[in-house]
Amino acid sequence: MTVSRVLIANRGEIAVRILRACRAMGIGAVVAYSEADRESLAAQLADEAICIGPADARRSYLAAASVISAALVTGCDAIHPGYGFLSEDADFAEAVRAHGLAFVGPPPAVLERFASKEGTRRLLASHGLPTIPGSEGAIRDESHALAEAARIGYPVVVKPSAGGGGKGMRTVRTPRELEGALPVCRSEARAAFGDDALYLERFLPENRHVEVQVAVDAHGNGIHLGDRDCSLQRRHQKVLEEGPTPALPPDRREELRTRALAAIVAAGYENVGTLEFLVDPDGAFYFIEINCRVQVEHPVTEMLTGVDIVETQLRIAAGEPLRVRQEDVRIRGHAIEMRINAEDPAHEFRPQTGTVERYLAPGGPWVRMDSHLYAGYEIPPYYDSLLGKLVVWGEDRDVAIARGRAALDDLVLDGVTTNRDFHRAVLDSEPFRTGAVTTTMLDRVGAAAFLRSPRGT
Amino acid sequence: MTQRRAVPRTDESRLADHAEIDRLADDLVPALVAKLAASGLGELEVREGDWHVRLRMPRGDVTASPAPARRAGAPVRQGTSGPGTAAPARASATGGPGPASPGSPAAGERTWDASPTAGGIRAPIAAPHRVPDEHVPRPRAAATSPAVGIYRPRDGIAVGSRVRAGDRLGVVDVLGVPHDVLAPAGGIVGGSYAEAGEGVEYGQELVRIELAGEASVTEPTA
Repeated sequence: MTVSRVLIANRGEIAVRILRACRAMGIGAVVAYSEADRESLAAQLADEAICIGPADARRSYLAAASVISAALVTGCDAIHPGYGFLSEDADFAEAVRAHGLAFVGPPPAVLERFASKEGTRRLLASHGLPTIPGSEGAIRDESHALAEAARIGYPVVVKPSAGGGGKGMRTVRTPRELEGALPVCRSEARAAFGDDALYLERFLPENRHVEVQVAVDAHGNGIHLGDRDCSLQRRHQKVLEEGPTPALPPDRREELRTRALAAIVAAGYENVGTLEFLVDPDGAFYFIEINCRVQVEHPVTEMLTGVDIVETQLRIAAGEPLRVRQEDVRIRGHAIEMRINAEDPAHEFRPQTGTVERYLAPGGPWVRMDSHLYAGYEIPPYYDSLLGKLVVWGEDRDVAIARGRAALDDLVLDGVTTNRDFHRAVLDSEPFRTGAVTTTMLDRVGAAAFLRSPRGT
Repeated sequence: MTQRRAVPRTDESRLADHAEIDRLADDLVPALVAKLAASGLGELEVREGDWHVRLRMPRGDVTASPAPARRAGAPVRQGTSGPGTAAPARASATGGPGPASPGSPAAGERTWDASPTAGGIRAPIAAPHRVPDEHVPRPRAAATSPAVGIYRPRDGIAVGSRVRAGDRLGVVDVLGVPHDVLAPAGGIVGGSYAEAGEGVEYGQELVRIELAGEASVTEPTA
């Protein structure tokens, strides 16, 4: 398939990021936008922009027919779905192909194969990846759930088969809690993913979230691009990501990366993807899920390796072989990404809206700001609160932390309350500095504890 | 590298949207204000595609300041602020919202519609506006595209056709599924903003309708 003109079916910072990749590659880029994003940076920077529907994402960014129609009307030969929205929708990818367009992501059959988290877990276990003890297949009904939970051992985590991001997920400690959680999780999963299938996993209390970035071309060549640690989470939402993980020694990191790559190539994956693992306090790792798309935190890997992940996606979608061999991949130094969100850390991280009055991105060597902000931009209330990602690199972790601290101070952003102070507090905190953050820590101690930490601002 | 195709939706489309807001502010709203004043009604509402304009007569005040017009689903968008885009359309009270207003940039040229200077300070769309009685512009409405796709006007709909509110003026074809283009109000078809077979975007103006009623029988001023 040729990829010479790409419809970007997304918004916010990732639309700008994809647009920049297209520009750098010399290919055309058209931005599809909702009415609420008419004044967005991506729509203004694009070669061409086309309104696909109203603010409601179900009628614009999630409306498969409108997105494909927009690509045809604007003469595109490919669609890049970004992350979220339609990015992992196998039916959408199939429809894109049926209209003679390239889908920038895994082929529909691959998306189908990895659509179920529970099925993926079994598939990759069969290719040698350790997984968390869990239910055999999806939960059929309450009695099946109770029997499986008893076999696995409480506490257990109820998880939706279709999705991620913490929606439809609950940790339960007793059969009674499980009974209460099932209908709630089912309805949340149905609302968020259109699929209410659930499965159970043993709850691992103090763990790290470590993921491996891979890229596999249509010819079966695969590489890994190192790992990222996304342990700092608030209610299952990643807040800050870094790489390489401070949770594992170099030899264990290398083992994780190579085993992840071997399993995913054997399972027939194609394009860019991320395998997520839990790492327990003893350093044992368990595969949890795969993300068949570009991830928010992909710049961490780009800073570490110099490989452009969006460009890699586009080239693989065009059928090109990988340009980088595993032995050419060099993972240098340490990188940290801080998600700058429009939310108030002093008030339960409540989402904020407003108009950006002043904006100046931090600069200097090894500092990167991926953002769609500009002075005068009104933040629409309809979508997520991500305003940008501040990414820094240093020759080691301490240098990266220091650079991140300085870059946070450098950022000029007036008019909207953000979580910047929270990031300052995190970088100054003892648990983060010693690399001891676990996925439940923030929810357990509360953001206030971080904000009040003695070394805090 | 790609050959850039001559594509229908470019900066002009955005300019057309800005022009639409200008038209509402400068054309339709004053006309409705005049109508409201003459009718003795307390309230008047016009629906046009995704737009609603509702005017309410404050007691004892004839030169009412109309309520802001809003596009459904985009309450944040209050007005247009594009340097070089707003001004030309505003200058003419009765001119149609032609997509190529003077000063519009060439296709492919970037426009900073919301530049730092303009973006922060946005004029409310329908500022208090005095309308001298003798200059009531002819009210018009536009049928807009319900979806992104290929526009196919209905046979027999041409300039001069009389249409009623809700009449189907054509369809926009989205991957083979037709979506009706409906007349937002009754009147006479005054022109078309898109060609048959042209790709159109969601919300794009397709057919201009000169509204029926007292105002439309006055001598056209355009």
